Amino acid sequence: MKLLTHNLLSSHVRGVGPRGFPLRLQATEVRINPVEFNPDFVARMIPKLHLVEVPKGPIEGYEHDEKFLRQMHHVLLEVDVLEGTLQCPESGRLFPISRGIPNMLLSDEETET
Amino acid sequence: MDQEAVQLEKRHVHDVYESTAPYFNDLQSKAWPRVRQFLQEQKPGSLIADIGCGTGKYLKVNSQVYTLGCDYCGPLVEIARSRGCEVMVCDNLHLPFRDQGLDAIISIGVIHHFSTKQRRIRAIKEMARVLVPGGQLMIYVWAMEQKNRHFEKQDVLVPWNRALCSRLFSDSSQPGRKKPCAHPERSHPYPPPCSVCSCSVCFKEQCHSKRSHSMDCEPLMAGTCCAAISKDGEEENGFYNTLGKSFRSWFFSRSLDESTLRKQTERVRPLKNTEGWANNTICIQPSRHSSLDLGHHEPFSTREQYLDEDVFVETSQKQLEWPRAPATMKHLHEDQQGEVRRNGDGNFLEGANASENCVNAGDVEGGHPSASKILRRISALDSTDSNPEETISVEEQQPNILDSRAFMRYYHVFREGELYGLLKEHVAELHVLSSGNDHGNWCIIAEKKDNWD
Repeated sequence: MKLLTHNLLSSHVRGVGPRGFPLRLQATEVRINPVEFNPDFVARMIPKLHLVEVPKGPIEGYEHDEKFLRQMHHVLLEVDVLEGTLQCPESGRLFPISRGIPNMLLSDEETET
Repeated sequence: MDQEAVQLEKRHVHDVYESTAPYFNDLQSKAWPRVRQFLQEQKPGSLIADIGCGTGKYLKVNSQVYTLGCDYCGPLVEIARSRGCEVMVCDNLHLPFRDQGLDAIISIGVIHHFSTKQRRIRAIKEMARVLVPGGQLMIYVWAMEQKNRHFEKQDVLVPWNRALCSRLFSDSSQPGRKKPCAHPERSHPYPPPCSVCSCSVCFKEQCHSKRSHSMDCEPLMAGTCCAAISKDGEEENGFYNTLGKSFRSWFFSRSLDESTLRKQTERVRPLKNTEGWANNTICIQPSRHSSLDLGHHEPFSTREQYLDEDVFVETSQKQLEWPRAPATMKHLHEDQQGEVRRNGDGNFLEGANASENCVNAGDVEGGHPSASKILRRISALDSTDSNPEETISVEEQQPNILDSRAFMRYYHVFREGELYGLLKEHVAELHVLSSGNDHGNWCIIAEKKDNWD
């Protein structure tokens, strides 16, 4: 699971709503996969991210800052979580990640009827 | 009623895909051109989800966008992952995305696996929820109106002829290869709702997991007993032609929506035996080429499908023999099984005296076990099919038939305008941009309205 994917995920345990984001990620096994750098792609992706804690927000003109884009590229697309868990910050529910695949299925009790 | 829907989908969608996932050969399936086009038209840098991605055939169509594959079926997702795709396991009805997170979504052959109208609507609304305003959703569903066949009803169970495959293979020069293998039904002349497979024989693609997963229709067998056939192209075609023609019958399922309606009208009918199966009445769709179609004077669609009424009238001459609805096997009484064996003995091609009965399952409400009769249609293999070596004695086939019970897939095939109507009346947050028919599928492209959320 790439970190870009993680940024899109939210918990849908019943009653949690917007407090289900972001999921707390605990990775026990991570792999770095080289991915071809596409600055335009990364630049377009950045505004779509839900960046909750950004120590220094993207500075103006970030889309031309290659160093910054490469860093974001690495973090979002090259880091691959193979094993770990995603935790709903509100309910504490854990979603497993195995062999790089997050399993976001909820049980019947956890879903809204 | 939702519980019955969940159970039906578990048995006839999820479990089937899980069991047959290992036999999907993705090399066989191609992406639908219109879907490819939709994906390629998305702006670079778009975030896209394929809800019901199956083995991920659409996930790498456009390298300028970020495409996430989602499917309910773990094994299919594993296959997609092994191809280097970014994927997850989730439920179409409960997508694990924050609101307005995605620029586009495709749902190819997925929502036709939901067994009630309400669930189909929920699936669409859930996809609309996660779209950004202006984001687009493409939906493909199997159409009821087909060029090569005519569906009598909208709710159908499509079998996979695993048993037939294994038997045929052991008949060929493959001694000792009698173990049944899970084997997706080869493409029929009347393509099954094959969401993922775009091979020339199958049309359409996907279904899916409503989490729907797309259904990678895999004509190729991965089972060992099929290996021999696959190497011989000539023989393979003949084999599959036979498969297709002999087993064109598909089962109809009672619509759970109809069942609810009936419940409310308090219909009381005398019931004979107690059988329970999946709370559905199974009716068999006559195949196009069978004489049954030609000689049959009772349009099925005009007969109400009461639980204890014969679905089919006896027809003269050739009829279709279906080795008994696999799902009902375990409920059969001894004498009934004996009857099948007797009739199966060397009578595969002969159907003059065969009568047809319908196996009815318990009513949805669960209180009324339905009458149980055996539905049997004697298959008339036409001249090109008639080949004793290729036929299968029902008796010897019994154990395999029992095993194949798990592989019937449920579909709700859509009438023209039905999908459009669903969106228009129930999903106000979406605005339909275009709709049409593509290779036997109704397709729609809709846009999330601005200022909605």
